[in-house]
Amino acid sequence: MNDFRLSFHEHLDGMVDEVVSMGMYARDMVQRAGRALVSRDGLAAQQVINDDDPLDLRYLKLEEAWLQTMALQTPVAGDLRLMSAVLHSGHSVERIGDQAVSTAGAVRATIGMPSQPQVLATVAEIVDLVCPMVDTALYSLERRDLDLAMSVPIMGGPVERLERSMYGLVGKCREDEDQLEWAVRMTVVARNLGRVGARAVDIAEQVAFLLSGVFREFTSEDWDTGPT
Amino acid sequence: MRRNRNDEIANDEIAHNEIATDELATMTSRMSAHGLSDSMDPQPAGLVDPATGILVAEDLTVHYGSFPAVRDVSMAIQPNQITALIGPSGCGKSTMLRCFNRMNDLIGTATVTGRLTYHGVDLYSPEVDPVQVRRHIGMVFQKPNPFPKSIYANIAFGARIAGIKQGLDELVEESLTKAALWEEVKDKLHESANALSGGQQQRLCIARAIATSPDVVLMDEPASALDPIATLRIEELMTELKKEYTIIVVTHNMQQAARVSDRTAFFNVAISDDGHRTGRLVEFDDTTTIFTNPREKSTEDYITGRFG
Amino acid sequence: MATRGTPITADLVKSALEGKRFNIADSLLAGALLISLFSSLFVLITLLADTLRTALPVFAERGMDFVTSSLSADPSKAGVVQGVLGSLALTGFVVAVGFPLGVSAAIYLEEYAEDNWFTRLITANVRNLAGVPSVVYGILGLALFVNLLGGLTNGRTVVSGGLTLTVVVLPIMIITTSEALRAVPETVREASYGVGATKWETIRHHVLPIALPTILTGTVLTVARAFGESAPLLLAGALVTNFFQPSADASVVQLITDERYTALPLVVFNWARQPQQEFVQLTAAAVVVLLVLLLSVNATTILLRDRFETKSQR
Repeated sequence: MNDFRLSFHEHLDGMVDEVVSMGMYARDMVQRAGRALVSRDGLAAQQVINDDDPLDLRYLKLEEAWLQTMALQTPVAGDLRLMSAVLHSGHSVERIGDQAVSTAGAVRATIGMPSQPQVLATVAEIVDLVCPMVDTALYSLERRDLDLAMSVPIMGGPVERLERSMYGLVGKCREDEDQLEWAVRMTVVARNLGRVGARAVDIAEQVAFLLSGVFREFTSEDWDTGPT
Repeated sequence: MRRNRNDEIANDEIAHNEIATDELATMTSRMSAHGLSDSMDPQPAGLVDPATGILVAEDLTVHYGSFPAVRDVSMAIQPNQITALIGPSGCGKSTMLRCFNRMNDLIGTATVTGRLTYHGVDLYSPEVDPVQVRRHIGMVFQKPNPFPKSIYANIAFGARIAGIKQGLDELVEESLTKAALWEEVKDKLHESANALSGGQQQRLCIARAIATSPDVVLMDEPASALDPIATLRIEELMTELKKEYTIIVVTHNMQQAARVSDRTAFFNVAISDDGHRTGRLVEFDDTTTIFTNPREKSTEDYITGRFG
Repeated sequence: MATRGTPITADLVKSALEGKRFNIADSLLAGALLISLFSSLFVLITLLADTLRTALPVFAERGMDFVTSSLSADPSKAGVVQGVLGSLALTGFVVAVGFPLGVSAAIYLEEYAEDNWFTRLITANVRNLAGVPSVVYGILGLALFVNLLGGLTNGRTVVSGGLTLTVVVLPIMIITTSEALRAVPETVREASYGVGATKWETIRHHVLPIALPTILTGTVLTVARAFGESAPLLLAGALVTNFFQPSADASVVQLITDERYTALPLVVFNWARQPQQEFVQLTAAAVVVLLVLLLSVNATTILLRDRFETKSQR
């Protein structure tokens, strides 16, 4: 991690870079948690859980630097909106990390339980959908790209549909009690992974606010047609 | 959250208009008491049109000799508000300020073209007497400049030359009270003004300016020579004074402009090929907008410290 | 101080900062200045002491009678009264006419005149005039006030002499007043205009009161100069003689407007040329009177200045 003793605007860019870097790290945690879940790899899952502490530490340090900058530099206009985006996005990234941890936790919790291939496939698909959402949101922040930011909510549409389909799939496991329990836990995992997508949309919202000066929530309508 | 603020602003504007009407009536009677020339009589309907303003500049340009110091400025100052003029050095904000009370007349080579109206009256028409203008539009300067006389004499001077002979004691007390200085000096009114601290001297200058009952007070970087505590007191005073007066302040301290003003005008300087600096008005908007989401890139660059 | 890499210790700093360095040039210069100051004072004091010593017998013998007696060829009777009255009258004239004229001219040049080539020409010429030898003004006085305007001044009267002296000191008055006005900070004028004062109100209530102490200091110097002038008076018709009796029953006005006159410096000049030994002492005595009068006039002007300085505070 960089030493933050730079000139003010380089310093601001440094904080954005840190958020993006943290975000990539968290996205990586999500991806690995998902794979660990599908391949039922307890070791990999434990690794993900261990990797959360450094992330939390980085967030704390970012918050500290943020406070200092506000107190000492009193940023205004675009710089102020950037500070707002950095803080909100940093928090969202931390939450993404937490979702990765809870996903990894489900691996241990379901040891020995029988799986169901369609459910697993759905979960894997959700992981493959939300991770690019996080990537795109982070790129849009790094490059200050409004179009990229606006494209993130559209990517969320399929995720919601997949989440809803999980409920139907649970029914297929009702023959075996253990499998049923496993399936229910997988729906929870699916919802958590869906939240990762929501966090990515939050980050994209912040980028849009930063670039346009107007804060607008991306609603569920935008998931289908994209925001105007 | 933003919507509530706009409602507040709308209500304030309605209240301001009512106040403006009353004030205009008072001001008209004050003006006749002071024996003004006819050309200074304001519009008889007595309403200050909020769409225009108490002071309206149209394509105002100031030349020093043959070179334009500031050009093509069009802006309307609203009554009972604090308007801040900000910008890098050489951008013409002080020159602009001095147009409002015809102080540029004192510089031999200065010529003003365009139009500047005060309550609808053209300030630069040949019938208008600049001396009278300055009784209605007062000024406070960057470095406190009390007269080397007593505190009492400092305030009474403006009134005396305006022909006021009675009630000077009350006027002095009233002015000092409004300037938040009365308690500190009431027992030493006949002592020299030079014995006061910098912050007190500046408040004295403010009291002196309002002693002639102006309705506009111009302030040219009023706190730049003062320490932070004195600065804060001046800012408090300004927010209190705007209930009764219209204030236009030039400041190079952007946080001050952000703290204190209702509207902010950003001036920028352009350097011509032969090295001459000409100022221009770039953006003029509500202070909140200027400091959260300005329209012009140069405004954003200036207030975030990328230049200037 | 220390080369890069050398650790900075307290000892190193000490040796760099401490130890009085004896600067020969500084001390020599200070010494030389002191010597020149003392030698000028010494010369002055010696001259004064010598004059006083020579004059003492006259005052011891005749006291104030010396001051009140008329001019006479007889040293035992000769006094300086006409010189004293003449000098006082001339000085009074200079102050009464020169002071308002000089101050007004300076106010016009500094506050009202536009800064163009014409104004600058006038200012430059005023400075030149200040450097003209005063005897030239004597010729001017003779031609203008005594001859040309003889009808008004009645020829060789105190009026002509006073006007001539006024012209001598006018350039200096204008210059010192201009400097005094220029020294008033522009911020004072700005503040005054800012509350709606006219140019004259600003000058009258603020600029002049602030400049007055300096103007009066300039006046002190001017008056001192006028008091001691002899060459222009010689040419303009003051008497240098032992035989001088104004008409016995002339009124004060007549004395000023009709009669011939003399001044103390001219009396000194005259007596210094007399062959008689006694006149040496009388000359010294006259010089003493001259100096005393001069100091009194200066003191009065300084008192006036101090009074104005405190008055302007209100």
